[in-house]
Amino acid sequence: MSSKNPLRSPVGKKLITGITGLGLVVFVLMHMIGNLSMFTGSDAYNEYAHFLAGLGPVLYAMEVAIVAFFLFHIVNGIQIWLGKRKARPVGYDTYRSAGKPSQQSTSSRSMIITGSILGIFLVIHIISFKFGPGGPGNADAAYVTNVGGTEMRDLSKLVLEKFGSPFYAFGYTFVMLLLITHLRHGIWSALQSLGAMRPSLTPLVYGVGAVLGMLIGLGFIALPLAIYFHLI
Amino acid sequence: MAPVLDSKIPEGPLQEKWGNYKNGIKLVNPANKRKHTVLVVGTGLAGGSAASTLAELGYKVKSFCIQDSPRRAHSIAAQGGINAAKNYPNDGDTVWRLFYDTVKGGDYRSREANVHRLAEISNSIIDQCVAQGVPFAREYGGLLDNRSFGGAQVSRTFYARGQTGQQLLLGAYQSMSRQIGLGNIEMFSRQEMLDLVIVDGKARGIITRNLVTGEIERHAGDAVLLCTGGYGNVYYLSTNAKNSNVTAAWRCHKKGAAFANPCFTQIHPTCIPVSGDYQSKLTLMSESLRNDGRVWVPKKQGDTRKPKDIPEDERDYYLERRYPSFGNLVPRDVASRNAKISCDEGKGVGETKLAVFLDFAEAISRLGREAIEARYGNLFEMYERITGENPYETPMRIYPAVHYTMGGIWVDYELQSTVPGLFVLGEANFSDHGANRLGASALMQGLADGYFVIPYTLGNYLASNDLEKVSTDNESFATAETESMARIKKLLSIQGTKTVTEYHRELGRIMWDYVGMSRTAEGLQTAIKEIAALKEDFWKNVLVPGENSTFNKNLEFAGRVADFLELGELMARDALEREESCGGHFREEYQSPEGEAQRNDDLFTYVAAWAHTENGHQLVKEPLEYENVKLTTRSYK
Amino acid sequence: MADSMNIKLKVWRQAGPKAQGRFETYTVPEANPHMSFLELLDVLNEQLIKDHKEPVEFDHDCREGICGSCGVVVDGVAHGPQRRTACCQLHMRHYKDGDTIVVEPWRAEAFPIIKDLVVDRTAFDRIIAAGGYVSINAGAAQDANSLPIPKTAADLAMDFASCIGCGACVAACPNASASLFTAAKISHLAMLPQGAPERKLRVTAMVDQMAEEGFGDCSNHAECEAVCPKGISISAIAMMRREYVKAVMS
Repeated sequence: MSSKNPLRSPVGKKLITGITGLGLVVFVLMHMIGNLSMFTGSDAYNEYAHFLAGLGPVLYAMEVAIVAFFLFHIVNGIQIWLGKRKARPVGYDTYRSAGKPSQQSTSSRSMIITGSILGIFLVIHIISFKFGPGGPGNADAAYVTNVGGTEMRDLSKLVLEKFGSPFYAFGYTFVMLLLITHLRHGIWSALQSLGAMRPSLTPLVYGVGAVLGMLIGLGFIALPLAIYFHLI
Repeated sequence: MAPVLDSKIPEGPLQEKWGNYKNGIKLVNPANKRKHTVLVVGTGLAGGSAASTLAELGYKVKSFCIQDSPRRAHSIAAQGGINAAKNYPNDGDTVWRLFYDTVKGGDYRSREANVHRLAEISNSIIDQCVAQGVPFAREYGGLLDNRSFGGAQVSRTFYARGQTGQQLLLGAYQSMSRQIGLGNIEMFSRQEMLDLVIVDGKARGIITRNLVTGEIERHAGDAVLLCTGGYGNVYYLSTNAKNSNVTAAWRCHKKGAAFANPCFTQIHPTCIPVSGDYQSKLTLMSESLRNDGRVWVPKKQGDTRKPKDIPEDERDYYLERRYPSFGNLVPRDVASRNAKISCDEGKGVGETKLAVFLDFAEAISRLGREAIEARYGNLFEMYERITGENPYETPMRIYPAVHYTMGGIWVDYELQSTVPGLFVLGEANFSDHGANRLGASALMQGLADGYFVIPYTLGNYLASNDLEKVSTDNESFATAETESMARIKKLLSIQGTKTVTEYHRELGRIMWDYVGMSRTAEGLQTAIKEIAALKEDFWKNVLVPGENSTFNKNLEFAGRVADFLELGELMARDALEREESCGGHFREEYQSPEGEAQRNDDLFTYVAAWAHTENGHQLVKEPLEYENVKLTTRSYK
Repeated sequence: MADSMNIKLKVWRQAGPKAQGRFETYTVPEANPHMSFLELLDVLNEQLIKDHKEPVEFDHDCREGICGSCGVVVDGVAHGPQRRTACCQLHMRHYKDGDTIVVEPWRAEAFPIIKDLVVDRTAFDRIIAAGGYVSINAGAAQDANSLPIPKTAADLAMDFASCIGCGACVAACPNASASLFTAAKISHLAMLPQGAPERKLRVTAMVDQMAEEGFGDCSNHAECEAVCPKGISISAIAMMRREYVKAVMS
């Protein structure tokens, strides 16, 4: 049975947001675990980065997929937000949540804001690291190192430099707090959007989502703070 | 001139009448059905089911309701259930028994043939509703559950929690919605019918007011179906919805449709009592509560102690005392009347002294709180929400309230009024419940009329009459529109000092005091005088705010109260004329030495139909002939 | 009589659909704890009429929480502070002397204001007309007991079917989405075998109609469930999505 345009329908939009969102959760989780390798030493970190870079076409495919996920997630998110503004052009003088079982929270209400900041951050982040000194199209002999006889990019050096600056360390921490906020509503919401919810599971899924979001965020935050406070 | 009443009861034995009728009627050719426009006013169980069914058959239907959506008609508030003679519980039910219980419950003042047809159709209604997806309660085996209800010894009531009316109405509404989507029904919501248009002696159209813009509209058709519910709001306080009114029916009455048995009203014994002057409506608590609740008042007049401080021997369990064999389970009319007697004796409880206790303490101590919670939990919750009192700890306070009106526009076997082409369905007609309606029978009647009776009888009318097309430019439309407009202008121009609500409340007080649970010739005469005076004052001194050209609820209400004032007078006259006690109509002069209702079958076994003539109201009688049922006296001692 | 209370009402007044609206503040000196919230508005209106002012228009009918006519936002919450209660059954005993109550209409593009607190909810009717039914003509039904339905399924169907169509879900939703309303009907019929033959057609048509009416998209805030007078669960929305995916995938 065909809807006029299934992917543009209210259900379709949420499905796309949910699927891409969950995909991005997997991505940030992997990224975060990768980051943690820094705690075992610069070499391990650089080797991990080198391994990824060496994947070649596989990496490109993954990158294309991740970019596509981001784009779909962002475009749908913005459309839902624009749709909501259109659906209620005049707001309330007084508005508050009725409380449980409502899941409305600062987290759920601020998805567009946290999402937008995360999006902007993402661009800066990629420019700073992926395309930073020693990265693609930006060869820099100062950021080359030799691990176990293999020459590779010294990404670790860049990371240590960047997070040595308070602006970057605390900015990054702040943005990761926003990521926690985004994921707190996002993970549960994605599962509900995919129709995977039962009322009895709601508190559990919401709890697991919040904890997972928290773990991802804290995992990210650990590195810059550790570097800034010279713990590693 | 007063009409001649021809009930058009078909020939043959009772069980064959409906079949014989269907065999003999004329049919409308399928290709011709779409040439007929039918105007259906009201979208409750009767109107909703009629509109959808006629549209399914191919007629062009225009449907009207005063609410913002057809889904909100007051049928939605019915709680208990719907009767049918399915005999699924194998407890001895038959079509005959359902017929017999209904005639007896109506205290032998209904038409045998109509009631039998209703009982025959009852089973098809359940089939239809289940097929629509109505989520009736089921047993663990997956089959439909039944429960028992007052006035019957079998379990024949189908239900959907305490929201049976809602689910049945939504079933009809969804069927209507399908036809609206298909373009077979044109829906006019927030439209109030103000007048009936008669052309060449036949109902050919209606005048409506658009309740948003105030515009007066003309709608023409080949027949008009009036499905506008009952008139309980004449009492101001009732369990009816605030917008339920008699206006459409009353306008039809004034255009020639006789009004039958207006004094037959049902007063339900278990409602949450009035708490103050601001009270806008009354809420029903299901009759089923009397299965475990004990009704009592203090023996001492004006006792203000808390119920738990009143010792057992200072309590009067008056129903158990007066009716040892039925106790708290006497029929609705008996229970209501006895509550009133106790309060009249000064033994009423609560702030207003117009309430009696319904006490669950004994049942809770016998069965445990959990058992009571399982049976009545949602009702107890509702009671607490409204009153702020916890009925597990302190007895409920209840008092009778107006609930249903058995009277209505007179119709023949075909549901046609004395105006050809005007058919009346559901509570708006008088036909099936006699002087008292049994629980779970109103839903049955509304749906029977709409799904299974009107498709046949309307077809017969359309096929038997040569109905030339009528234009809304016809003079009759212009006259009716002018009259409606003049009335609105008049209401707005008075700009007196009393609000519409004040008049309505005053009318309600007169009706409740003199035309309520217990009536006397003297009281009824007083009522007639007081209502006449109130009506006169209304037209001189009412204050209706705002204007016609906007949404103006007070203007709507003003028109309705004006009609209630006229109806109230007729109800009192009808009650005065009926010198007997039967069903919901109790005349103090006509009671047994024990204080029970005493019918007078020799003189009053008839339908009192009132015709509106140039000389005022005139009574026309339709004698009721009982060929199958023996008339007996009800006893609950 | 119970102690009377002095209540201030800050009410949205708007003469017509296109008119400029504004808040007006009124005082009702003789409010009573036993009154319902709508009765408080009645008392206010009687006062206004006597003062030759226009009364506040609001939709209401059964006043026992089942018809779905009434509905206003009371102090920021659709139907007011009491859970699972339409504002007709909200009683003044939840307030105290001297309180100010802010009263606003449902706010949504798809529910245009007609006057004061009255809005046009016919969008809901069009969503149902798009597919919220079983196509069965009167007279065509088989015996009611020829189709056994497990009690659990019937009970769940009843939970979804209990929707009163008041629009509180839309009013409370930060996105003004009608997902709970639409999903409740889809889920009611999806739970029952009677609804099966048309399930695919139904879900796509109703979801499309919902979008066409201009309601916002759902962001899973679940605020709708919290204000629903019947407490309908957002699991209905999850079920609607599953139904939708099944429909478009085939």
